[in-house]
Amino acid sequence: MQTTYKYLLISLLICFAASSIQAQDKQDKKPEVKTPKVKWWDGMTLQVDAASIASSTLLSKDVYSVEAGAQINLKNKYLPIVELGYASVNKTSLEDIRFKTNGFFGRVGMDFNLVKKKKDGKLSPNLFLMGLRLGMTNATYSINNMVITNDYWGGNQTLPESKLTPTKIWFELVFGIRVKVVDNIYMGWSLRNKHLLTTDKVGDMSPWYIPGYGKNASSNWGFSYTVGYKF
Amino acid sequence: MKHNTCLLLIAFTLFGISCTNDQSCTQDRIAKMGVGFYTHALIDTTKQIYATRAINLDTLSVRGLSANGTLIDSILYKSKSIQKIYLPLNKFESSSKFVLTFKTAKDTIEVLHTNTDYYLSLECGCMKVHSIDTVLTTTHLVDSIKIINHKVNATNADHIQIFIN
Repeated sequence: MQTTYKYLLISLLICFAASSIQAQDKQDKKPEVKTPKVKWWDGMTLQVDAASIASSTLLSKDVYSVEAGAQINLKNKYLPIVELGYASVNKTSLEDIRFKTNGFFGRVGMDFNLVKKKKDGKLSPNLFLMGLRLGMTNATYSINNMVITNDYWGGNQTLPESKLTPTKIWFELVFGIRVKVVDNIYMGWSLRNKHLLTTDKVGDMSPWYIPGYGKNASSNWGFSYTVGYKF
Repeated sequence: MKHNTCLLLIAFTLFGISCTNDQSCTQDRIAKMGVGFYTHALIDTTKQIYATRAINLDTLSVRGLSANGTLIDSILYKSKSIQKIYLPLNKFESSSKFVLTFKTAKDTIEVLHTNTDYYLSLECGCMKVHSIDTVLTTTHLVDSIKIINHKVNATNADHIQIFIN
């Protein structure tokens, strides 16, 4: 009997000890604040530039341009991008000089998201972007109906059509925002300051418009309004 | 909501900036040869040292002489006191002749030149620039001619000096 009491007491003590250790464990474990882990790969966005389409269809009867891009999101901070597009221009100047071009262009580059994490550690779905692009096109250009008049001496001369195929390379400084509209749909705009790296010799025939770059000048401004889907 | 409206306004403003209108040409498209009139002035009679001095001509009229030898109707210059003139060279020929009628005499100068197309822009098109090779002259009142700048473009530079007796 004594032995039975002895075993009962020991088992009670063990139970008490075990329960007290468990309680201690529960007290030690503070409620965890779950901070979302920043993913290395945070999806890919396919986007089209609505500004170039709107400009082509509504505003400019001379320039038709479309472009789309694919951008991946790495760590919600680095966003490498590839942009491809096509432009076709049929422009007649006030003096009836005709300029034509059509061709593809491409850009590669990287955006940097400048939006920091919220205080609660959550990542903002909206992006404030600054980035760089390197663009290139080797479209063909033609200029014709260029007339030189010999004002004093009389007569005039129509120059033969000029066909140009220069490779044009430029870089762009990009600044813009991208906002999550619904689920995986994103919209945003960007302002681009473009600088031509391959310039023409002064006095030589040169294109009026460069696909992907815009009007031919040593520097230029561009604007894009993108609509994209994030996968 | 206010924030979104603001962003939209910025976007449309930028979009508007990117749209430009057709422009007309405002550049000068005629390359003219600058001609100055000079004389060799004797500044030291004992050592026979001459200096070049710009002069004002009392009376001068200038007309072009076409390749077939007929005077062009339009007068380029008709002035009572002039020191410098700008003459258009023939854009399609390699020779331009001018008849200079002074108060008491008449001289013909012939400028031999090459012409090159020079593209300006889509708005302005192309112009011709020239390179002066040689200048020939009769010597009734004109003593000699010196080329000081061979390249003739749209800038108002001096290209030849005509020395008057």
